[in-house]
Amino acid sequence: MKPFLLGLVRAALGAVFLYAAATKLPDLAAFATDLANYRMLPAALVPAAAATVVGIELVVGALLVAGLAARAAALVTAGLLALFVAGLSQALLRGIDLHCGCFGGTELASWGTVARDLPMLGAAAVAVWGPGRLRPGRIISAPPGAAGRE
Amino acid sequence: MKLLSQAALVAIAGSLAGLAANALSPHPAVLGRPAQALADTGGGTCQLPAQGPLATPRISVPEAEARCTACTAGFVDAREARDYEAGHVVRALHLAPGEPGEDQVVAQLASFPLVVVYDGQADCGRAEAVARRLKARGLKEVRVLTGAWPAWLAAGGPGVSGPCELCQQGAR
Repeated sequence: MKPFLLGLVRAALGAVFLYAAATKLPDLAAFATDLANYRMLPAALVPAAAATVVGIELVVGALLVAGLAARAAALVTAGLLALFVAGLSQALLRGIDLHCGCFGGTELASWGTVARDLPMLGAAAVAVWGPGRLRPGRIISAPPGAAGRE
Repeated sequence: MKLLSQAALVAIAGSLAGLAANALSPHPAVLGRPAQALADTGGGTCQLPAQGPLATPRISVPEAEARCTACTAGFVDAREARDYEAGHVVRALHLAPGEPGEDQVVAQLASFPLVVVYDGQADCGRAEAVARRLKARGLKEVRVLTGAWPAWLAAGGPGVSGPCELCQQGAR
């Protein structure tokens, strides 16, 4: 994949995660309740898990947008998305009726939500294992053709 | 290996950032207090309004509690038997969807002018299923309890624990 496209994928993924974190930060208590509704964790661990998820979203989003430690950030993003897909799927399969908690709103969890996560998971995988790496500084200062090299 | 180490560092940094952000949030998640699912607090259980022409009408907890106290309604618990035994509306019978014992339960309820069914699901699905069975057996006035058992508990409605002694063989 061309470095420019790869960079675009990473930046877009990062922006989505930054937005997701920003929508949850004002009311982390509500997100903790959303997370509890999934019934995946002991109730005592849910508040810390909620804060952790949002913090990771924030950090990987910033790193992906900035192009810093981008492969590592994309790997964590892929792991997080895999967790989201697993969490949503188990809730839907168990017949739990809940808000997905995705962007801080009241969107109901559905298979459509799962389907929406899958392209992002694919994008994160491409960002981890795809060829080339984009760092904004290199694009600006490197000679033509050097931006795609490690 | 280097990638995994970096990813672990990113995850740790994210976790710490999340805990810091939580401390600064206007509505933080309280770390020392367990977060309960809405269905366990009554906030999300059986709250959705009845939909469709075949849906069973709802009854509020205060209205149902008054009928319970006056013994002018029969109650049916549509949850799992273990949930029923852990706690249920006083004098409620147990009848789960798809389980036997319907004849005995219908016979016990026939003298009541109103039957109230409750479950523990957000969409009132189990209560709806049992209510449909009871209506099909000729019980005319059947309603589903809004908020179900969690809301009943939260409102201080009378409840007991233990197996169903009023139910006959087949029903628990």
